[in-house]
Amino acid sequence: MTDTAIEAAALGRSFGRRRRQALEGCSFRLPAGRVCALTGPNGAGKSTLLALAAGLLRPTEGSIAVLGRTPAAARERLAYVAQNKPLHPQLTIAGTLRLGRDLNPRRWDARVPERIIAEGDLDPGARIRSLSGGQRTRVALALALGKRPELLLLDEPMADLDPLARHQLMATLMADAADHGTTVVMSSHVVAELEGSCDHLLLLGGGRVRLAGPLDDLLAAHTLVTGRSGDTLEPHTVVESRTTGRQLTALVRPAGPLGEGRRTDRPSLEELVLAHLRSPEAPPLVLDTEQEAAA
Amino acid sequence: MSALASAATPLTRPAPRPGGLLRTVARTHRPALVLSALALAATTVALVWLHGLGGEARAGDSACATPPTDRLPSCAAVEAITADETYANGLAVIATVLSYAVFPVAAWAGGALIGRELENGTAQLAWTQSVGPARWLAAKLAVPAALLTAGTSGTVLLNVWARGDGDPDLAGDWYYPDVFVSTGPVAVAYPLAGLAFGALAGLVWRRALPAAGMGLAASLLLHTLLERHREELWPAVTRVAAGSIELPRSAFQVSWDTATPNGVHITRATFHPQSHYWPLQYVETGLLLAVAAAATATAFALLARRLP
Repeated sequence: MTDTAIEAAALGRSFGRRRRQALEGCSFRLPAGRVCALTGPNGAGKSTLLALAAGLLRPTEGSIAVLGRTPAAARERLAYVAQNKPLHPQLTIAGTLRLGRDLNPRRWDARVPERIIAEGDLDPGARIRSLSGGQRTRVALALALGKRPELLLLDEPMADLDPLARHQLMATLMADAADHGTTVVMSSHVVAELEGSCDHLLLLGGGRVRLAGPLDDLLAAHTLVTGRSGDTLEPHTVVESRTTGRQLTALVRPAGPLGEGRRTDRPSLEELVLAHLRSPEAPPLVLDTEQEAAA
Repeated sequence: MSALASAATPLTRPAPRPGGLLRTVARTHRPALVLSALALAATTVALVWLHGLGGEARAGDSACATPPTDRLPSCAAVEAITADETYANGLAVIATVLSYAVFPVAAWAGGALIGRELENGTAQLAWTQSVGPARWLAAKLAVPAALLTAGTSGTVLLNVWARGDGDPDLAGDWYYPDVFVSTGPVAVAYPLAGLAFGALAGLVWRRALPAAGMGLAASLLLHTLLERHREELWPAVTRVAAGSIELPRSAFQVSWDTATPNGVHITRATFHPQSHYWPLQYVETGLLLAVAAAATATAFALLARRLP
């Protein structure tokens, strides 16, 4: 048993004859048992990274290991829900779950998906094509969880769900992950959707890793500073600074005490992410988790 | 703890048997399964009925005399029998259906079997279960290949049985393209080649409609090429004689030249006698199976190259 769920080393992937780089030079480590938010703007490479981890794409550079093996060798132990929630439209819900049982004969646990279907008030005899987008998402998640994965890769899982279903499904997902020690990687460009359920963050921008590490450590490494315009922020690393009238607001990575006469706040996840997205030139910050493992 | 337990399970339990995968293929392609079963049933009923009609049809096609003699029936009586026409037309339709079966198979394999699954992501859904892409493709090809082989073999045997003595006046000569393709192992090999072409087109184009079109086009090309060059698949017999030549009955004539050097009339005929039926069948079947195998191998190689 490995304690690393995903480890990427200089991972890159390009598409097409023009070699458009969807992902380049990505290195990070995700420890097992984490719930990781994968976020970034549209086209940042989130879906590409998840497909690489799921063994559906071959990296063009570098490597990615999943649960200590290649993604193809770990196929049986991971589950993946693609962004468009592909399911066979002509099958019923029960037929879809039978497919899961037939294709995962060594791992299938029928109780989990049946509970998720029942929670959504879905008729197991209903055909997939008759379901709404949110209901399909529920079936796709039920299929993924029925496999009892050690690593669950979810691409925009909550996009089609109404707020109530989102809340309820997220609670089910988190409870299940906590019970079984499942590592979850969940992508979304809506940061608020991820806050509160995740303890690890991976922020991508332009195909590169911008932030990676335990959420609390990343938040603790940044400070929101409010001061007078003209103040110097040396020697701290400034992620983003904005001046409104005579007031300066900045997100910095403090290199030491920030000095007197300034208001300092802990940033929220949304502020942290937005500041990095607005300043593509800010240096990336990858916090390895070894230090926290030692603590 | 459960993580530890589940990590250990693959070591203690045997490798999964392919039953679940095969069931999944059958379940996800039920419309095609039902449609082919109906087509098979209709063809079987038609062939049994045609076989029953055979005796009367032969009576309606026999020699006659006016007035009738001891050995020959009256021509008016023979004329009154219409079964021979029904029988001949029925056999012609069945022959056409059997020899064209490759086209719907190729279009279906490219479109519904592979192309659509790659287009809407259900193939990727299967590959992220406990089934690798290569096993997925193997099952996707094995199930239809087995059913097609069984179905076409049975139909060909029934067709040969319904044709009875294969009287060329009623059932068509052995070398007519449709008759040739629908009476031997070639009939089994064509749909298999169509299946392989369709699957390859599906993997190359990854979208249902273009893949169905390309699978169909490739099969059409193959069918046309083999039909045009069938006589070259086995060395033909050449006969040269002064004057004219009487070819044996049901000879597949390849060429017929006459020349008059030095005032002597020479005829040179190249043809396949009926005894070449089986060599021609075997060579064409071998070619088709080789093409199908090459397309299948390319499909697997393509999938392996694309996926880790």
